Amino acid sequence: MKRTPWIRLLAVLLLMGCEKDIQIDVPADLTSTVCIEGLLYPGESPRIYISKSVPFFDKKVTPQQVFARSATVGITSDAETEVLFADSTFDKFRCRWVPFYHGTTAAEFGKTYTLTVVFEGKTYTASTTIDQKKAVIEDIIYTPEFTDLYGGHDGVNVRFRDASGPGNFYRFQMYRMIDRTVAHAHVLDVIVSDCTGDEEFPITDLGRTIYADTGNDGATLDMLAEVSFEYSQGDSTWVSLQSLDPKSATFYKELDDQLISILNPFVEPVFLKSYIDGGAIGVFGSVVLSDSVLFVYPQDNPL
Amino acid sequence: MKRTLACLLLLTLCLSGYAQKKFTISGTATDEESGEALIGATIYAKSQQAGTVTNNYGFFSLTLPETDSLPLVITFLGFKPQVKRIRLHENITLNVRLVPGELSLDEVVINATPPNENVERVQMAVVDVPIQKISELPVILGETDILKVVQLLPGVQSGNEGTTGFYVRGGNADQNLVQLDEATVYNPNHLLSLFSTFNSRALNSATLIKGGFPAQYGGRLSSILDITMKEGNNQAFHADGGIGLITSTLTLEGPLKKEKASFIISGRRTYLDLLAKPFLPKGNKSNYHFYDLNAKVNWQLSDKDRLFLSIFRGRDQAEYRASQGINYKILFGNATGTLRWNHTFGPKLFANTSLIYNQYDQDVSAILDNYFSQTITGINDINGKTGFQYFPNPRHAIQFGAEYIHHKFVSGGKSESQKTIDQNINKEKIPTRYFNEFALYLNDEIKISERFSTSLGLRAPGYASNTVSYYRLEPRASVKLSTGKASSVKAAYSVMNQFLHLVPSATGTIPTDVWVPSTERTRPQFSQQYALGYFRNFSDNSVESSLELYYKDMKNQVLFPEGNQLIESFAVDTSLVYGKGWSYGAELFLKKNTGKFTGWLAYTLSWTFQQFDALNFGEKFPFRYDRRHVLSLVGSYAMNPRWTLSSVFVFNTGSAFTLPVGRFPAFYGPSLFEGNYYVYERRNNQRLPAYHRLDISAVRRSQAHLFGKEFQTEWVIGVYNIYSRLNPYFIYLQVDPVTDQPQGKQVSLLPAIPSISFNFKF
Repeated sequence: MKRTPWIRLLAVLLLMGCEKDIQIDVPADLTSTVCIEGLLYPGESPRIYISKSVPFFDKKVTPQQVFARSATVGITSDAETEVLFADSTFDKFRCRWVPFYHGTTAAEFGKTYTLTVVFEGKTYTASTTIDQKKAVIEDIIYTPEFTDLYGGHDGVNVRFRDASGPGNFYRFQMYRMIDRTVAHAHVLDVIVSDCTGDEEFPITDLGRTIYADTGNDGATLDMLAEVSFEYSQGDSTWVSLQSLDPKSATFYKELDDQLISILNPFVEPVFLKSYIDGGAIGVFGSVVLSDSVLFVYPQDNPL
Repeated sequence: MKRTLACLLLLTLCLSGYAQKKFTISGTATDEESGEALIGATIYAKSQQAGTVTNNYGFFSLTLPETDSLPLVITFLGFKPQVKRIRLHENITLNVRLVPGELSLDEVVINATPPNENVERVQMAVVDVPIQKISELPVILGETDILKVVQLLPGVQSGNEGTTGFYVRGGNADQNLVQLDEATVYNPNHLLSLFSTFNSRALNSATLIKGGFPAQYGGRLSSILDITMKEGNNQAFHADGGIGLITSTLTLEGPLKKEKASFIISGRRTYLDLLAKPFLPKGNKSNYHFYDLNAKVNWQLSDKDRLFLSIFRGRDQAEYRASQGINYKILFGNATGTLRWNHTFGPKLFANTSLIYNQYDQDVSAILDNYFSQTITGINDINGKTGFQYFPNPRHAIQFGAEYIHHKFVSGGKSESQKTIDQNINKEKIPTRYFNEFALYLNDEIKISERFSTSLGLRAPGYASNTVSYYRLEPRASVKLSTGKASSVKAAYSVMNQFLHLVPSATGTIPTDVWVPSTERTRPQFSQQYALGYFRNFSDNSVESSLELYYKDMKNQVLFPEGNQLIESFAVDTSLVYGKGWSYGAELFLKKNTGKFTGWLAYTLSWTFQQFDALNFGEKFPFRYDRRHVLSLVGSYAMNPRWTLSSVFVFNTGSAFTLPVGRFPAFYGPSLFEGNYYVYERRNNQRLPAYHRLDISAVRRSQAHLFGKEFQTEWVIGVYNIYSRLNPYFIYLQVDPVTDQPQGKQVSLLPAIPSISFNFKF
């Protein structure tokens, strides 16, 4: 009988185990990976985001801290090259500056552009041709509840007609004015920015799911779209669809897969591939936007 | 002309040799006290330099030239040797009963002792698991376990800390065929794999084959663990039990009809759920328990016929609910039933026919970090097989037979954002699939000369479902060249196919692996293995040693693709990726069998890689259990008849896992894409810290007489992981939501754990 408490303690030991923080040594000789993201929109001047990855456990990982400041960036089309310059914009929601390389010449539909980045002695190049077909939004329907691989959501159902011809890829884009009282879907966004005061500021929400027209060429399709921000009845948003080039579609699909694998412990890790010559992670692609449609939320966010 | 005469003379000599009359000695070797068959006992005629070993039913057959006086030595480890002197002028039935005891051989016997079986047998990469040692070795919480001993053998690697999963020569866990009385046990582990489903008190023998497979074995790429249950004492009734910290066991055995029929029944149940209940934090709920039950009846119908019926059932049920962290609900279990008929057609032909049923089901659901996962597998097999052993003369031992398995199979899974662990897959939706496996085989072990022997075999397995069928040929070859009285060189080549796949999860910390059968997409696993070994014994065979080298390549290996998320999927194989693997290494084994000090040293140096076009940028990567060094030191010292001290030391290179090497932010904030993304250098690029531990135990035995019966008791006191090394069970990453700083977390399961158990037998 005297042994009983000791026996019970052992049983609990087995159940509870032991957990400790550990130091994991990432190889010291590892070279940073260059990350390049740039999408050209017809009628808009180019913005290219270039960064350098930091060691996994490094604390410096904000856009300002990882920005590739000394890069030489050029975009060539029709034998003319425009050299981009470093610029930045203030992200009021996050209360931080976001640097990028900016051009002044608006991209044009039908043209092919080649990006060249020279950074720390290495050259990275990629090309894109803006020739995607524009989608036509036919209707937007409010969806109080739907389920996809991200779980159960409310959101909007964008009904659109696929442009004829195979190889079309789409994702949604929503433009809204919000203030700091509006919460973001990510858990970490309970931290509300103090930068904005009470004023409203614009945000552009992008869909994570890439829709392909495989097997549905020219058909009317429904795109169920989860949104990033809370809303109330009467809030309005401009909805449009992005037609992506195949490389961009593949990259953003991978990016989304990796995000799922980071969040969901039951999902296998996803390695991001290089779609830029020279070995940089990222993509240089293009987008053709559909005409935007104003949508007014018919009810408060139910979740 | 001279050459012709020489040839004629040689021919005449050969013919005269063959013209000499030969007769066959056949029979069985059993334990005098219990009537149990002795599997692997040696019957050796030194004057003829010929011998054989008993098969899985204790049967042997040895054909020798006519003689007036033939001394036969019968030996088996842990039993007193016997010398039988026989007149061989006709076929003889010889049933030998050996008495348990020390190997105190007298001079005559020592002179007649044959070279040890490990040197003499043609087969390499075979290890007889020392069942009799199991109860002496220190184990977690005093729970004796055969799979824990298997993990200490050369070429075998354990899985995570404390688990009974094992990986042989670079193969995955599903590539081991674990058979109990010929019935496949799909999951030989209890929850967390801390204990195997095998109750060691009910076991008679176990043999692990890692390569050079004889043709009668097939269906898995990497190993066969052939476990035989005890038959039950046919002389007297006995009870054998144990009371441990978390389980209790009781085994009953005895004659149904003395010397003709016997039974054994053995049960084990854990009470961990009851012990832990008062200590769980408020709001947490756990009801983990498992049990297993073994029973066997055998009946000697006649001198030539024997019938066996054995059943096994093991089941786990676990549920853990907490307000934070992991929540899980796990149900799984195995059940097998084997009906076997042994028939001796004559002194040279032995047959075994079996009808086997086995069932395995697993339903695991879990919630972690607000995500839900569930996997379901159900397998029901009906298996019929018949095998013959034919011993036409001392130079040949032929085995041939046929096997058929009908599988009924369901599998599915899903993973999505959090629901509840009670909100399960609708099992009625899961389609049932049926398919069949079958095989024919022929194997001949040929003694070409005194020094040179070979084993040649061919197995022809097949697989058929309603959509696809596969037919394969598997050549098997082993050769042995004696290089001295106590040494030999061996080589082996074998081809194996496997029609079932277990898809391992790279991320899961709970058992979310899924079984899938072969389909048009998922082709049968295939392997070729080459092995070379040198075997040498010392000190009159009391010390065995071997050094084996191997190279194995494996095709049609399966893994989940990057980013795989099961969305209520019942056709799991549509989302798999395929690749290949290869492994090579060296295994050193030193074993001391006799004397006060016994034990072994097993050291494996190996490399294992995989390559999948769709993973790791198409480049090769280390297998998860690619451990460069694996060392096991096992020792037992019998101080006197009452006390035995034992110790186990284990050292393993840490297993591989995948860790991102860098991070970068996505600039599309604040959208759903916002966040930091990971840069991966390659799969399995990091190593867990090295694993090592030292366990010790002391066994005190005593005997008494109660009511005129001998009553044996045994106290086993031990400490597992005596220096409390916090070996990693797994490592995971956690990102601080405020600082966005990732942190590595290591979970260790088993610190120093003392144990005490009490065993009795009467």
